[in-house]
Amino acid sequence: MDLGLLVVLLVLLSVAAGLVGSLVGMGGGVVVIPALVILFGVPIPEAIGTGAITILATSTTTGAAYIRDRLSDLRIGMFLEIATVPGALIGATATVFLARASFSDALLVALGIVLLAILPSSLARRNDEAAHGGTPDARSRALRLSGSYVDRASGQTVTYQASETTPALGVMFGAGLVSGMFGIGGGVFKVLALERYMGLPMKLATATSNFMIGVTACAGAGILFAAGYVNPLIAAPVALGTAAGAYVGSQVLPGLRNRTIRWIFIPVDAALAVETILRGLGLP
Amino acid sequence: MSEPVILPRDGTFPPTAYERMAWLLRVGLFASLALLVGGLAAYLWWNPRATATQAIDSNPILRYLDVEGLARGLASADPTAYLTVGLLVLVATPIVRVAAGFFYFRRGGERSLAAITFVVLVLLLLGLLVVGPLVR
Repeated sequence: MDLGLLVVLLVLLSVAAGLVGSLVGMGGGVVVIPALVILFGVPIPEAIGTGAITILATSTTTGAAYIRDRLSDLRIGMFLEIATVPGALIGATATVFLARASFSDALLVALGIVLLAILPSSLARRNDEAAHGGTPDARSRALRLSGSYVDRASGQTVTYQASETTPALGVMFGAGLVSGMFGIGGGVFKVLALERYMGLPMKLATATSNFMIGVTACAGAGILFAAGYVNPLIAAPVALGTAAGAYVGSQVLPGLRNRTIRWIFIPVDAALAVETILRGLGLP
Repeated sequence: MSEPVILPRDGTFPPTAYERMAWLLRVGLFASLALLVGGLAAYLWWNPRATATQAIDSNPILRYLDVEGLARGLASADPTAYLTVGLLVLVATPIVRVAAGFFYFRRGGERSLAAITFVVLVLLLLGLLVVGPLVR
């Protein structure tokens, strides 16, 4: 195949990845990594490195828009990064060693099972519009992890107060681990922690996850980059396409209802689960 | 001397912080995208017969993992060196954003969040400058 054609195909693929990733707060590595491996024969470590670049492009593009619209809570995002970044550093380091030891397939299967385990509770709450706010803990009150935003879909001002920060930090560490290890952003777990444990509205959770995944991916990308697992000729068109798709997504998200985002989130999570298990088992 | 920033009681950043943070991300993104578009266009122009297999099999970043190698690539106008810098700018943008967060928290007298952000900043730099080269 001609390189020019590969570049065009990668840009088109990445536009779709950026759009989906920005709407569900997951980045876009979910779409890009298996496509690079299965369709284009890119080695898995380099596909993972490219996945981290995809997430950076999504997060940087959407971050600018969501921060401006006050949809990303900077205080909550930056507070939780204390857990995601160490997770990502450990995860990315593990990936480098696992790639050399050819031991990543079993971990892929484990990741798929975890993603499947999230589905039942997401399905049970698929039509919920309002957030399930819990009781704010001492840490949440001390750090003033609260705020408000104007919901464009309903025209109302939504106020929120984060709760249960301890389990959320635990899930965030896991999200960082997964992000660093598989280059997929870990947005599934971040949204889970922000919405389920901290009781934040789905839209705010998605936007804050988008804001956070950039820093998490940066931790992993730094290691994968330095280890030589990012191919500029592959990552560059992917970054360009992802940024374009994520920009479109950032314009669409503010007008969506929480339950619509949840309905997008569920099949993406299910597809990711099936995909990672199949990849781990070596099935097409 | 600039006015001290007083964070509002509802626990949000000052409005200017949101604007500047969004601006930082836009600048990083556009700088990165400009380098990537230029680098890709130049590579395709100078290598019209390059194939996808060649691009996938020969990872040019391996030549640019140290400062001297990257400087040589930039000086010789190698498009892949410019692509590498474009990707590095994309990787560095969140680090600058975290540094800006630390600055705003510190300026606003928020010691806990400033300390948390500082630790995150140190970890990010450790990953890029120490852990990455160590595991190479």
